[in-house]
Amino acid sequence: MDGSLITFGHWLQNREFALAIAGSDWAYPFVQAIHFTGLSLWVGTNLAVDFNLLGFGKKSSEPLQLSKLLLIWNWIGFGIAVTGGLLLFSVSAETYLTNIAFLTKLGLLIPLGLVCHIVIQRNAPAWEKLSEVPMLAKVAGFADLLLWLSVATAAVLIPYVG
Amino acid sequence: MILHFCRWLQDNFLVSAINGTAWSAAATEIIHYFSMFILVGSTVIVDLRVLGAVGRRQDAKQLADWLFPWIWISLGLNVLSGFVMFAGTAPSYYGNDIFYDKLMIILLAVIVNLVVQQQVPKWNQLPAMPAWAKLLAFVSIMLWIGAIIAGVEVPALTGVG
Repeated sequence: MDGSLITFGHWLQNREFALAIAGSDWAYPFVQAIHFTGLSLWVGTNLAVDFNLLGFGKKSSEPLQLSKLLLIWNWIGFGIAVTGGLLLFSVSAETYLTNIAFLTKLGLLIPLGLVCHIVIQRNAPAWEKLSEVPMLAKVAGFADLLLWLSVATAAVLIPYVG
Repeated sequence: MILHFCRWLQDNFLVSAINGTAWSAAATEIIHYFSMFILVGSTVIVDLRVLGAVGRRQDAKQLADWLFPWIWISLGLNVLSGFVMFAGTAPSYYGNDIFYDKLMIILLAVIVNLVVQQQVPKWNQLPAMPAWAKLLAFVSIMLWIGAIIAGVEVPALTGVG
Protein backbone atom coordinates (compact mmCIF):
# COMPACT_ATOMS: atom_id res chain seq x y z
CA MET A 1 0.00 0.00 0.00
CA ASP A 2 1.13 3.51 -0.80
CA GLY A 3 3.10 4.94 2.09
CA SER A 4 1.57 8.41 1.87
CA LEU A 5 -1.94 6.96 2.33
CA ILE A 6 -0.79 5.26 5.51
CA THR A 7 0.84 8.47 6.69
CA PHE A 8 -2.43 10.28 6.03
CA GLY A 9 -4.39 7.62 7.92
CA HIS A 10 -2.00 7.86 10.84
CA TRP A 11 -2.30 11.65 10.88
CA LEU A 12 -6.11 11.55 10.63
CA GLN A 13 -6.72 9.07 13.41
CA ASN A 14 -4.56 11.14 15.76
CA ARG A 15 -6.65 14.28 15.28
CA GLU A 16 -8.36 15.44 18.43
CA PHE A 17 -11.92 14.70 17.19
CA ALA A 18 -10.95 11.19 16.08
CA LEU A 19 -9.29 10.44 19.41
CA ALA A 20 -12.32 11.88 21.21
CA ILE A 21 -14.72 9.54 19.35
CA ALA A 22 -12.45 6.55 19.91
CA GLY A 23 -12.03 7.33 23.59
CA SER A 24 -15.70 7.88 24.42
CA ASP A 25 -18.17 5.19 25.45
CA TRP A 26 -21.17 6.76 23.76
CA ALA A 27 -19.71 8.64 20.77
CA TYR A 28 -18.68 5.71 18.59
CA PRO A 29 -22.07 3.91 18.54
CA PHE A 30 -23.76 7.29 18.15
CA VAL A 31 -21.68 7.97 15.02
CA GLN A 32 -22.52 4.45 13.77
CA ALA A 33 -26.21 5.28 14.24
CA ILE A 34 -25.75 8.49 12.20
CA HIS A 35 -24.13 6.47 9.40
CA PHE A 36 -26.94 3.87 9.38
CA THR A 37 -29.72 6.47 9.58
CA GLY A 38 -28.27 8.32 6.59
CA LEU A 39 -27.87 5.06 4.71
CA SER A 40 -31.48 4.11 5.34
CA LEU A 41 -32.58 7.36 3.72
CA TRP A 42 -30.06 7.13 0.87
CA VAL A 43 -30.50 3.44 0.01
CA GLY A 44 -34.23 3.49 0.72
CA THR A 45 -34.91 6.40 -1.66
CA ASN A 46 -32.48 5.00 -4.29
CA LEU A 47 -34.15 1.62 -4.34
CA ALA A 48 -37.65 3.06 -4.42
CA VAL A 49 -36.72 4.75 -7.71
CA ASP A 50 -34.96 1.58 -9.00
CA PHE A 51 -37.84 -0.74 -8.10
CA ASN A 52 -40.29 1.65 -9.73
CA LEU A 53 -38.26 1.68 -12.97
CA LEU A 54 -37.97 -2.09 -12.86
CA GLY A 55 -41.73 -2.38 -12.50
CA PHE A 56 -41.35 -4.30 -9.23
CA GLY A 57 -44.18 -4.12 -6.76
CA LYS A 58 -47.80 -3.23 -6.84
CA LYS A 59 -49.15 -1.75 -10.05
CA SER A 60 -50.42 1.79 -9.67
CA SER A 61 -53.25 3.13 -11.78
CA GLU A 62 -51.09 6.12 -12.67
CA PRO A 63 -47.30 5.89 -13.10
CA LEU A 64 -45.41 6.94 -9.97
CA GLN A 65 -42.87 9.71 -10.47
CA LEU A 66 -40.51 9.16 -7.60
CA SER A 67 -37.15 10.48 -8.75
CA LYS A 68 -37.89 14.21 -8.46
CA LEU A 69 -40.12 13.64 -5.46
CA LEU A 70 -37.36 11.99 -3.45
CA LEU A 71 -34.39 13.96 -4.82
CA ILE A 72 -33.85 16.26 -1.82
CA TRP A 73 -34.24 13.55 0.82
CA ASN A 74 -32.08 11.25 -1.26
CA TRP A 75 -29.13 13.67 -1.07
CA ILE A 76 -29.85 14.61 2.55
CA GLY A 77 -29.50 10.90 3.31
CA PHE A 78 -26.25 10.79 1.35
CA GLY A 79 -24.89 13.77 3.29
CA ILE A 80 -25.77 12.20 6.65
CA ALA A 81 -24.29 8.84 5.61
CA VAL A 82 -21.03 10.43 4.40
CA THR A 83 -20.71 12.54 7.56
CA GLY A 84 -21.12 9.48 9.76
CA GLY A 85 -18.88 7.44 7.46
CA LEU A 86 -16.03 9.96 7.52
CA LEU A 87 -16.14 10.08 11.32
CA LEU A 88 -16.15 6.27 11.57
CA PHE A 89 -13.27 6.13 9.10
CA SER A 90 -11.20 8.69 10.97
CA VAL A 91 -11.30 6.65 14.19
CA SER A 92 -9.12 3.91 12.69
CA ALA A 93 -8.10 5.31 9.31
CA GLU A 94 -4.83 3.43 9.15
CA THR A 95 -6.51 0.05 9.52
CA TYR A 96 -9.19 0.88 6.96
CA LEU A 97 -6.61 2.03 4.42
CA THR A 98 -4.96 -1.39 4.51
CA ASN A 99 -8.24 -3.32 4.32
CA ILE A 100 -9.01 -4.67 0.85
CA ALA A 101 -12.78 -4.74 1.41
CA PHE A 102 -12.78 -1.10 2.51
CA LEU A 103 -10.56 -0.01 -0.40
CA THR A 104 -12.80 -1.85 -2.89
CA LYS A 105 -15.87 -0.27 -1.33
CA LEU A 106 -14.55 3.26 -1.37
CA GLY A 107 -12.31 3.20 -4.44
CA LEU A 108 -14.47 1.17 -6.82
CA LEU A 109 -18.01 0.32 -5.73
CA ILE A 110 -19.15 3.68 -4.32
CA PRO A 111 -17.84 5.68 -7.33
CA LEU A 112 -19.56 3.23 -9.73
CA GLY A 113 -22.75 3.35 -7.68
CA LEU A 114 -22.71 7.15 -7.69
CA VAL A 115 -22.20 7.33 -11.47
CA CYS A 116 -25.05 4.89 -12.04
CA HIS A 117 -27.24 6.77 -9.56
CA ILE A 118 -26.62 10.15 -11.20
CA VAL A 119 -27.32 8.73 -14.67
CA ILE A 120 -30.64 7.43 -13.34
CA GLN A 121 -31.46 10.67 -11.57
CA ARG A 122 -30.90 12.67 -14.76
CA ASN A 123 -33.05 10.41 -16.90
CA ALA A 124 -35.68 9.05 -14.53
CA PRO A 125 -38.10 12.01 -14.77
CA ALA A 126 -38.42 11.31 -18.52
CA TRP A 127 -38.46 7.51 -18.13
CA GLU A 128 -41.10 7.61 -15.40
CA LYS A 129 -43.54 9.47 -17.65
CA LEU A 130 -43.53 6.76 -20.31
CA SER A 131 -46.22 4.12 -20.16
CA GLU A 132 -43.57 1.50 -20.98
CA VAL A 133 -40.24 1.98 -19.18
CA PRO A 134 -37.38 1.50 -21.70
CA MET A 135 -35.05 -1.50 -21.37
CA LEU A 136 -32.09 0.82 -20.73
CA ALA A 137 -33.86 2.26 -17.68
CA LYS A 138 -34.48 -1.22 -16.30
CA VAL A 139 -30.85 -2.20 -16.84
CA ALA A 140 -29.72 0.99 -15.08
CA GLY A 141 -32.13 0.39 -12.19
CA PHE A 142 -30.95 -3.20 -11.80
CA ALA A 143 -27.27 -2.16 -11.98
CA ASP A 144 -27.90 0.46 -9.28
CA LEU A 145 -29.56 -2.13 -7.04
CA LEU A 146 -26.63 -4.54 -7.49
CA LEU A 147 -24.01 -1.84 -6.98
CA TRP A 148 -25.44 -0.63 -3.65
CA LEU A 149 -25.92 -4.22 -2.54
CA SER A 150 -22.25 -4.81 -3.35
CA VAL A 151 -21.30 -1.69 -1.35
CA ALA A 152 -23.14 -3.16 1.67
CA THR A 153 -21.45 -6.51 1.02
CA ALA A 154 -17.98 -4.95 0.97
CA ALA A 155 -18.79 -3.04 4.17
CA VAL A 156 -19.91 -6.18 6.01
CA LEU A 157 -16.77 -8.00 4.80
CA ILE A 158 -14.38 -5.38 6.26
CA PRO A 159 -13.96 -7.17 9.63
CA TYR A 160 -13.94 -10.60 7.90
CA VAL A 161 -10.92 -9.83 5.72
CA GLY A 162 -9.15 -7.53 8.20
CA MET B 1 -36.97 -21.72 30.85
CA ILE B 2 -36.17 -18.93 28.38
CA LEU B 3 -32.46 -19.38 28.99
CA HIS B 4 -32.89 -23.10 28.39
CA PHE B 5 -34.60 -22.32 25.08
CA CYS B 6 -31.78 -19.90 24.16
CA ARG B 7 -29.20 -22.65 24.73
CA TRP B 8 -31.22 -25.11 22.69
CA LEU B 9 -31.53 -22.53 19.91
CA GLN B 10 -27.81 -21.84 19.83
CA ASP B 11 -27.09 -25.55 19.49
CA ASN B 12 -29.69 -26.07 16.77
CA PHE B 13 -27.91 -27.59 13.77
CA LEU B 14 -29.25 -25.04 11.27
CA VAL B 15 -28.39 -22.05 13.46
CA SER B 16 -24.88 -23.29 14.17
CA ALA B 17 -24.36 -24.19 10.50
CA ILE B 18 -25.29 -20.68 9.30
CA ASN B 19 -23.37 -18.81 11.99
CA GLY B 20 -20.43 -21.20 11.98
CA THR B 21 -19.50 -20.60 8.34
CA ALA B 22 -18.00 -17.23 7.42
CA TRP B 23 -19.80 -16.78 4.11
CA SER B 24 -23.28 -17.58 5.42
CA ALA B 25 -22.76 -15.50 8.56
CA ALA B 26 -21.67 -12.57 6.35
CA ALA B 27 -24.63 -13.13 3.99
CA THR B 28 -27.00 -13.02 6.98
CA GLU B 29 -25.49 -9.72 8.10
CA ILE B 30 -25.75 -8.25 4.58
CA ILE B 31 -29.43 -9.21 4.40
CA HIS B 32 -30.00 -7.71 7.85
CA TYR B 33 -28.42 -4.34 7.00
CA PHE B 34 -29.80 -4.03 3.48
CA SER B 35 -33.35 -4.95 4.45
CA MET B 36 -33.12 -2.46 7.31
CA PHE B 37 -32.21 0.31 4.86
CA ILE B 38 -35.24 -0.53 2.68
CA LEU B 39 -37.52 -0.91 5.71
CA VAL B 40 -36.53 2.35 7.39
CA GLY B 41 -36.12 4.28 4.13
CA SER B 42 -39.54 3.29 2.77
CA THR B 43 -41.23 3.98 6.10
CA VAL B 44 -39.62 7.41 6.36
CA ILE B 45 -40.76 8.30 2.81
CA VAL B 46 -44.38 7.63 3.84
CA ASP B 47 -43.88 9.54 7.10
CA LEU B 48 -42.34 12.52 5.29
CA ARG B 49 -45.29 12.58 2.89
CA VAL B 50 -47.71 12.66 5.83
CA LEU B 51 -45.63 15.46 7.38
CA GLY B 52 -45.85 17.38 4.10
CA ALA B 53 -42.08 17.30 3.59
CA VAL B 54 -42.26 15.20 0.40
CA GLY B 55 -44.28 16.05 -2.72
CA ARG B 56 -47.57 17.47 -1.48
CA ARG B 57 -48.90 17.03 -5.00
CA GLN B 58 -48.13 13.32 -4.88
CA ASP B 59 -51.22 11.39 -3.83
CA ALA B 60 -50.43 10.03 -0.34
CA LYS B 61 -52.54 6.91 -0.76
CA GLN B 62 -50.90 5.95 -4.06
CA LEU B 63 -47.44 6.40 -2.51
CA ALA B 64 -48.31 4.44 0.65
CA ASP B 65 -50.03 1.66 -1.32
CA TRP B 66 -46.89 1.20 -3.38
CA LEU B 67 -44.39 1.45 -0.49
CA PHE B 68 -46.09 -0.62 2.21
CA PRO B 69 -45.52 -3.99 0.47
CA TRP B 70 -41.78 -3.11 0.43
CA ILE B 71 -41.98 -2.18 4.10
CA TRP B 72 -43.51 -5.54 5.07
CA ILE B 73 -41.25 -7.63 2.80
CA SER B 74 -38.12 -5.92 4.13
CA LEU B 75 -39.41 -6.23 7.72
CA GLY B 76 -39.84 -9.97 7.12
CA LEU B 77 -36.27 -10.33 5.80
CA ASN B 78 -34.96 -8.14 8.59
CA VAL B 79 -36.65 -10.13 11.35
CA LEU B 80 -35.61 -13.45 9.81
CA SER B 81 -31.93 -12.49 9.40
CA GLY B 82 -31.96 -10.79 12.80
CA PHE B 83 -33.35 -13.93 14.39
CA VAL B 84 -30.58 -16.05 12.87
CA MET B 85 -27.94 -13.60 14.18
CA PHE B 86 -29.59 -13.61 17.62
CA ALA B 87 -29.91 -17.40 17.69
CA GLY B 88 -26.19 -17.87 17.05
CA THR B 89 -25.37 -16.54 20.53
CA ALA B 90 -28.87 -16.59 22.00
CA PRO B 91 -27.90 -17.16 25.67
CA SER B 92 -25.75 -14.00 25.67
CA TYR B 93 -28.82 -11.92 24.80
CA TYR B 94 -30.65 -13.29 27.83
CA GLY B 95 -31.00 -10.50 30.40
CA ASN B 96 -29.54 -7.97 27.92
CA ASP B 97 -31.64 -4.88 28.69
CA ILE B 98 -30.63 -2.80 25.70
CA PHE B 99 -31.52 -5.70 23.39
CA TYR B 100 -34.95 -5.93 25.06
CA ASP B 101 -35.31 -2.15 24.56
CA LYS B 102 -34.45 -2.55 20.87
CA LEU B 103 -37.13 -5.22 20.40
CA MET B 104 -39.69 -3.09 22.26
CA ILE B 105 -38.91 -0.01 20.15
CA ILE B 106 -39.25 -2.05 16.95
CA LEU B 107 -42.55 -3.50 18.14
CA LEU B 108 -43.90 0.02 18.81
CA ALA B 109 -42.58 1.26 15.45
CA VAL B 110 -44.31 -1.60 13.62
CA ILE B 111 -47.60 -0.85 15.42
CA VAL B 112 -47.29 2.80 14.34
CA ASN B 113 -46.60 1.64 10.75
CA LEU B 114 -49.77 -0.47 10.82
CA VAL B 115 -51.86 2.48 12.05
CA VAL B 116 -50.38 4.77 9.39
CA GLN B 117 -51.04 2.19 6.65
CA GLN B 118 -54.60 1.81 7.81
CA GLN B 119 -55.29 5.54 8.16
CA VAL B 120 -53.57 7.00 5.08
CA PRO B 121 -56.60 6.48 2.77
CA LYS B 122 -58.77 8.46 5.23
CA TRP B 123 -56.20 11.23 5.78
CA ASN B 124 -55.73 11.45 2.01
CA GLN B 125 -59.36 12.54 1.53
CA LEU B 126 -59.08 15.42 3.98
CA PRO B 127 -58.05 18.89 2.76
CA ALA B 128 -54.95 18.71 5.00
CA MET B 129 -53.19 16.04 7.02
CA PRO B 130 -54.60 16.14 10.58
CA ALA B 131 -52.26 17.12 13.40
CA TRP B 132 -52.36 13.66 14.97
CA ALA B 133 -51.36 12.12 11.65
CA LYS B 134 -48.30 14.35 11.55
CA LEU B 135 -47.54 13.56 15.17
CA LEU B 136 -47.76 9.85 14.41
CA ALA B 137 -45.49 10.20 11.37
CA PHE B 138 -42.96 12.11 13.49
CA VAL B 139 -43.13 9.46 16.23
CA SER B 140 -42.58 6.78 13.57
CA ILE B 141 -39.37 8.46 12.33
CA MET B 142 -38.13 8.88 15.92
CA LEU B 143 -38.90 5.23 16.76
CA TRP B 144 -36.99 3.90 13.76
CA ILE B 145 -33.99 6.12 14.54
CA GLY B 146 -34.33 4.89 18.12
CA ALA B 147 -34.29 1.29 16.88
CA ILE B 148 -31.04 2.00 14.99
CA ILE B 149 -29.48 3.64 18.06
CA ALA B 150 -30.54 0.74 20.30
CA GLY B 151 -29.22 -1.65 17.66
CA VAL B 152 -25.72 -0.20 17.69
CA GLU B 153 -25.76 0.15 21.48
CA VAL B 154 -26.25 -3.61 21.95
CA PRO B 155 -22.65 -4.50 20.97
CA ALA B 156 -21.29 -1.16 22.25
CA LEU B 157 -22.65 -1.49 25.80
CA THR B 158 -22.74 -5.24 26.24
CA GLY B 159 -20.16 -6.60 23.81
CA VAL B 160 -22.79 -8.97 22.43
CA GLY B 161 -23.44 -9.34 18.71
